[in-house]
Amino acid sequence: MSSPRLTVRRAAVLGAGVMGAQIAAHLANADVPVILFDLPAAEGRADALVRKSIAGLSKLQPAPLVTRGRAAAIEAATYANDLARLAECDLVIEAVAERADIKHALYAQVAPHLRDDAVFASNTSGLPLASLAEVLPERLRARFCGVHFFNPPRYMALLELISAPHTDAALLDALESWFTTRLGKSVVRAKDTPNFVANRVGVFALLLTLHHAQAQGLTPDEVDALTGPLIGRPKSATYRTADVIGLDTLAHVVRTMQDTLSDDPWHAHFHLPAWMLGLIERGALGQKSGVGVYRREGKAIRVYDAASGEYREGTGQLDPAVAAILKERDPALRFAALRASAQPQARFLWAMYRDVFHYCAVHLAQIADNARDVDFALRWGFGWAQGPFETWQAAGWRTIAQAIEADIAAGQTLAATPLPAWVLQRDGVHTPQGSYSAASDSLRPRSTLPVYERQIYPETVFGEAEPRQGETLWENAGVRLWHRPDLDAGIGILSFTSKAHAINDAVLDGVQAALDYAERALDGVVIWHEAPFAVGADLRQLAADCEAGAFAKIEAMVANFQRTALRLKYAQVPVVAALQGMALGGGCEFALQSSERVFALESPIGLVEAGVGLIPAGGGCKEMALQAAALAARTANRDPLACLQPLFMPIATARLAANAIEARDRGFAQAGDSVVFHPREVLYVALQRARALSASGYHPPLPARAVAVAGRDGIATLQMTLVNMREGGQISAHDYRVGSALAEALCGGAVDSGMTVDEDWLLAVERRLFIELLQTPETQARIRHMLDTGKPLRN
Amino acid sequence: MSRQIQDAYIVAATRTPVGKRKGAFIHTRPDDLLAHVLGRVVAQVPQLDPARIGDVVVGCAMPEAEQGMNVARIGTLLAGLPPSVPALTVNRFCASGLQAVADAAARIRLGEADVMIAAGVESMTVMSNMMGNKVTLNPAALEQPETIAIAYGMGLTAEKVAERWQVSRADQDAMAVESHRRAVAAIQGGLFRAEISPVSVRTHRPGADGTLRISEQLVEHDEGARADVTAASLAKLKPVFAAGGSVTAGNASQMSDGAAAVLLVSERVLREENLTPLARFVGYAVAGVAPEVMGIGPVVAIPKVLAHCGLTQEQLDWIELNEAFAAQALAVQRELGLDPTRINPLGGAIALGHPLGATGAIRTATLVHGLQRTQGRYGMVSMCIGTGMGAAGVFERV
Repeated sequence: MSSPRLTVRRAAVLGAGVMGAQIAAHLANADVPVILFDLPAAEGRADALVRKSIAGLSKLQPAPLVTRGRAAAIEAATYANDLARLAECDLVIEAVAERADIKHALYAQVAPHLRDDAVFASNTSGLPLASLAEVLPERLRARFCGVHFFNPPRYMALLELISAPHTDAALLDALESWFTTRLGKSVVRAKDTPNFVANRVGVFALLLTLHHAQAQGLTPDEVDALTGPLIGRPKSATYRTADVIGLDTLAHVVRTMQDTLSDDPWHAHFHLPAWMLGLIERGALGQKSGVGVYRREGKAIRVYDAASGEYREGTGQLDPAVAAILKERDPALRFAALRASAQPQARFLWAMYRDVFHYCAVHLAQIADNARDVDFALRWGFGWAQGPFETWQAAGWRTIAQAIEADIAAGQTLAATPLPAWVLQRDGVHTPQGSYSAASDSLRPRSTLPVYERQIYPETVFGEAEPRQGETLWENAGVRLWHRPDLDAGIGILSFTSKAHAINDAVLDGVQAALDYAERALDGVVIWHEAPFAVGADLRQLAADCEAGAFAKIEAMVANFQRTALRLKYAQVPVVAALQGMALGGGCEFALQSSERVFALESPIGLVEAGVGLIPAGGGCKEMALQAAALAARTANRDPLACLQPLFMPIATARLAANAIEARDRGFAQAGDSVVFHPREVLYVALQRARALSASGYHPPLPARAVAVAGRDGIATLQMTLVNMREGGQISAHDYRVGSALAEALCGGAVDSGMTVDEDWLLAVERRLFIELLQTPETQARIRHMLDTGKPLRN
Repeated sequence: MSRQIQDAYIVAATRTPVGKRKGAFIHTRPDDLLAHVLGRVVAQVPQLDPARIGDVVVGCAMPEAEQGMNVARIGTLLAGLPPSVPALTVNRFCASGLQAVADAAARIRLGEADVMIAAGVESMTVMSNMMGNKVTLNPAALEQPETIAIAYGMGLTAEKVAERWQVSRADQDAMAVESHRRAVAAIQGGLFRAEISPVSVRTHRPGADGTLRISEQLVEHDEGARADVTAASLAKLKPVFAAGGSVTAGNASQMSDGAAAVLLVSERVLREENLTPLARFVGYAVAGVAPEVMGIGPVVAIPKVLAHCGLTQEQLDWIELNEAFAAQALAVQRELGLDPTRINPLGGAIALGHPLGATGAIRTATLVHGLQRTQGRYGMVSMCIGTGMGAAGVFERV
């Protein structure tokens, strides 16, 4: 299969503001050389402003760059001196201020330098593409469109792709494919209407939340307690989100809505509450000014009280009756109860949902191709767990529709506009055949672009067809070995079925049995399941055995763990670990000992055992010792310790590699491993890799027999850092003990330095040290605390 | 017990400017810095035949890699001194440069030589790890409480000193501010001009079409002193060596690159060649303390050298007391009751930098030129030494 192709050898981003610089950063993350343009500085180097902006990327949180060094892929340039360099660029993304006059002037300036075959795209968040295209010369119009990123662009999945009146349809397909695979974005096609899809609904949802909060007399902290994770929205909920966006920025967006959406029936509600405007006036703009709706005072966070004009302690109390309603699992019952309740918090929630549903139903035809696009836009652009249409459909389409109608009739909705006729004629918008398009009054199936064949299990909305589950080949209580004969019958997919994919006895036994099966009947195996990859060994089981004093049993379990890892490493067929989400502890060790790894970019991985007072004992320390020996053999001094030193402290302090690129620097990813930017493509790539390995005559490596280790001197040298930290009061005595055990395992035990050992010895050392640590009360307390609180104990 | 038969006199003393680590000398090898000062110090006494040099003693705290292979001999040959002139490298960590002066003087005083060079060199750019090129610790050190402090970083020992001698963060920061103030004033006043031999640094960069682009830059001044250091700016720095500690990057010495050399001759050569001495070497002492409070070392070394020389500390007009850390420098000053107005009048290592094994020779150069300029009589160079020692050398302007 082949997707319509876009070749981007070099890209340019115009505008080095917060968005422009971060878009450039994400291009750099994807190995796209990029030139970042902005105005020349008034004094000093012409590109000083741009350079400052690039330097600033390293300080932003969450980090726009996968590693600090990535900034080197971004070149600084200015409109004054470097426009000729645009001729080198295949893709030029404009991300300057949201003002038509500024954009028009810039387009006139850059247009002569753009190649005929370059793509020119605007990251506008709401200006009409049609009017922007008008200032471009004829030759560029077919190559011009909108690509709307969400902040922060590396982390927000959504990319809205907007056609201008003359954009070449094939180009849009090529762009959609490129942004999906290369940058890992999830693309929604939006129509060229003000604010497009996600912001049109999302910002309105925010405004109506503020409106109903005021109407029901709810305080910001109450609203945030109600509108966060409890209802499948981000932790920042409503007001905290406003603080993060910046109250002034929000006001600007709202003003734009007032100007551009004058015929929207909800136009009268496009304003912020007066008290919020008051905050803006006195410079309380949110996070950027340190104070907004919330104010941080030392460790406490206080919330603005509109009545008194003061900041008070935020309690965010939930009404117990409302909390009980929200615990109801059946959405139909939940919504019915919310609507029936007289509690202000329940009335608030019902009104909030109702008006979003109402708004989306009325505008669907105008803003999006179909209801699925709206739902995905809100999921990917605003972090909602469910989009508005699927929420509605899950709650009972007709019941909710009738309730909305009744509320319209009763004058309770924010606008009196009736629901469109189609709403009451249907039982929902999402069906196995497709999602409803109000504009064409038809069901729209999913895109048939070849790029989506790379998503074997794409994200789905409620009511959509369930994806094909594949045929089970073998299973037990911990794993399922299955395959997809329609894709590649010879590659088995090994999925863990334990909670959070924790590694327990059933998983260990299952992996071994599945590999037995694979060696008999398959060409390769991919370890894959939905995120997380694995949170490590089953701590609950470990804690229970520990409390029962069953250390012999635990040692047997650890030995079984090591045996399983060796089975992965020495299987006669290739085993490809397909990682997405966390791979912690034992999960990381399984990945390390697979034949090859395919990482989704945002896959935090690490050996974090120290957090519970342990060391890796599933072959993790052994693998690091092997790596150090192999690396050292290629250096003049052949000193394995020099190769271990950079790995030691991150493991001793349980620090994760934040992403797949960092994983390379940390020894968790090898040179041949793949990094996939879109997490939904990981399985596809892993199947391809397993097939390729098999086709290239795969055989397992020889067992490691003569491994030069750092030994006694190495241990002491690593301990030197720990001694200083302990004496400086930076780590506890038990941290020192855990770190010392780690040093010993990494250095291959307390043998003389430079001694050679084999893999079994390395495993025996880490196993012994693991059990010794487990028998200490401090480690047991750490495990208990982690199970009880989910947080590490510093003891 | 003394078998001294003659005095040793310093007739020339010069040094490089001190560069910040990875600063002016980022691409300059330490053996080149050494060759530079060896060549210059010999050139300052043109009437003396270099073939008469009995030995070249060079202090270096990490004598390995670019400054290994007996860097003294490498530097001597690179400086163009006759191959007949021998050379050895000595290591007493931070006192290496002073030790070299003492050893060179001793050979003259015993009558074994009439002309000696003492020098010091260190590039902390190439030896960026304080523990050397390959860090390795003897496991036995960790096995007993008496030796565990061998593993301590210097910053941690400074915290121990600060705690035991009750040196506050504010006092440490105040010393750092004063060190910078004095150093900046000295540089602006040209007070280091007599002792510094500017270094022309060549940089080889990639040029056009595969050719090298070679540039030269003259380094004339010490690089570390800052005019913008204030108590408020230092107060913002976080302690790095201990939780709740007081030692910061701002009140510790800077990591630096530099070299210095002094030419010593006997009384006889002084007369024969009609040379004007800068100073007479009076005496030297070194003594040990517990490694975990290594910074307090001068407290034992200074009384020892004064007793040996028959002097009192009131007779010292100028004291170069190395500021490895403000914490230890203040503890030493208070413990001995040294007069702060006579200590480091041109600033100390917090501002001027501390290229470990070179510092003793560098500050000897500062001292002997300073005594000449101020017409003071006795002066002393002293410093603490990693793993727990102190050293002190006394000089007299004649």
